Amino acid sequence: MKKVIVENLKYRYPAMKQLALDEISFEVEEGEKIGVIGRNSSGKSTLCQALVGLTPHFYKGTYGGRVIVDGLEIKHATVSEAALKVGIVFQNPFTQVTGAKLTVYEEVAFGLENMGLSRAEMIEKVDRALHLLNIYPFRNQNPFSLSGGQMQRMAIAGIIAMRPSIIVLDEPTSQLDPQGTEEVFSAMDELSAEGMTVVIVEHKMEKVAQYCDKILVMKDGKRAAFDTPAKVFSRDDLSELGVCAPVYTNICKALGKKEGAYYPVTLAGAARVLGARR
Amino acid sequence: MKSLSLYVERDSFIHRVDPITKLFYIFAAIIVPFVMKDLTVSIVCAAVSLILLAVGKVLRNAITVFACLFLIMITIFLIQALANINNATVVFSISGIHFYAEGMINGVKIIMRMTDMVAAFLILILTTKPSDLVEDLIRAGFSPRIGYVIMSIFQIVPHMAGAIDVITDAQRARGVETKGSLPVRIKAFLPLLGPVVLNSFMNTKERAMALEVRAFDAKNKKSFLNEAVNFRHAMAYRVLFVLLAVSAVAWRAGGVLL
Repeated sequence: MKKVIVENLKYRYPAMKQLALDEISFEVEEGEKIGVIGRNSSGKSTLCQALVGLTPHFYKGTYGGRVIVDGLEIKHATVSEAALKVGIVFQNPFTQVTGAKLTVYEEVAFGLENMGLSRAEMIEKVDRALHLLNIYPFRNQNPFSLSGGQMQRMAIAGIIAMRPSIIVLDEPTSQLDPQGTEEVFSAMDELSAEGMTVVIVEHKMEKVAQYCDKILVMKDGKRAAFDTPAKVFSRDDLSELGVCAPVYTNICKALGKKEGAYYPVTLAGAARVLGARR
Repeated sequence: MKSLSLYVERDSFIHRVDPITKLFYIFAAIIVPFVMKDLTVSIVCAAVSLILLAVGKVLRNAITVFACLFLIMITIFLIQALANINNATVVFSISGIHFYAEGMINGVKIIMRMTDMVAAFLILILTTKPSDLVEDLIRAGFSPRIGYVIMSIFQIVPHMAGAIDVITDAQRARGVETKGSLPVRIKAFLPLLGPVVLNSFMNTKERAMALEVRAFDAKNKKSFLNEAVNFRHAMAYRVLFVLLAVSAVAWRAGGVLL
């Protein structure tokens, strides 16, 4: 079942001449994990905003094409209506703290309160989200007292607790250490296994290659590629797209070692083709 | 992180009273002494409010606030004692300055009313979590948007103060003198305004988006994680406070008419 349908999406910010999104089209199946990569200012964040309706409802500007998430056409729904189907986590964790709650637990429950859920349902969902993101021990702390990484995981938990069918993450690991990054990706993996569709903007290519089913490469607001990690990272024009392949892929490229028709993109794949033994 | 909230965590009867009932108490504590205009009533009301602070185990915290008001109270008392329009009876004189009985009584009355009013508000502020107050008000029909604004002030303003410190440090690192005499501090303060204000605007926009995507504007009825403070005799106390206020007004109106 298709959870995200983007058709000929065009968007230009007010007072800008250049299109931020230019004829973008792609489809995402239920439970798929899509990595969005590309240079800075290639339109990745704008695409994330378009998926949840912040574009065109929050940011005005010129908008064309269609975005349909879980059967809801974003153009005809409010952001709050769309929020029940698709959640987004932004890059800056600080601005995702509502500022109206005194503990991490209450902060994560904020969206559920707005949805009008019963207290018992809230507790169940908040507990699960806090455990999944490994921040349960901080539940009684003030949200502003957390570190950047903890705050980001709290922001993700706040969205996950709302159990949207699609979650969009815009560089969620930019402030996380390697362990925190791994925890976020594993959490996404677990949610995806339960049927949640994940769209994640990320610069850590090894993680994108390891966890994502498909990769959307953006360049100057256009879709430059949309395929499996192996196909995308095996391309010869990656540098023109402003993308670096994972280090394992580069090693295998340098040694000319392919796994079938494509270069391996993960450590396990590289170990296989290089014949490494444990 | 510091919060603007003055809430003091204690286990007391006053802490267990729900916030709306405390608002009713404030209403009565203000109306009764102001309407009745009697010194004894003012003293009794002030004493009751102070006793309630003591019952709430927050009298010591309240004293800090009263210490800040001490200068104002003394000033009011002196002005009244020296220059009240009804002054006639000299009680004592110091270096030819006469202190009058009428003014002193009126000064004490005003101080007692102030004490009562401030203590009544402190009962609410020191013994009630801001979130409990706001959530109870929203449950009673108050706008969630205004509730959010009130709550966020407690958290975001101290955080902005923290951001000012960070920007000050950054400017100091670039050689801007931020410490010293008042003119030096004012000179250092002006370049702070640009980054702080711009930063706040940007954060506000992003936070507005974050609220939207967490269904803040959803049309359905909101629910609450925290259960309402369940105070058994809330209604009886509220009726009592309203009756006290209404009786005071009626007594005054009757007195005026007679």
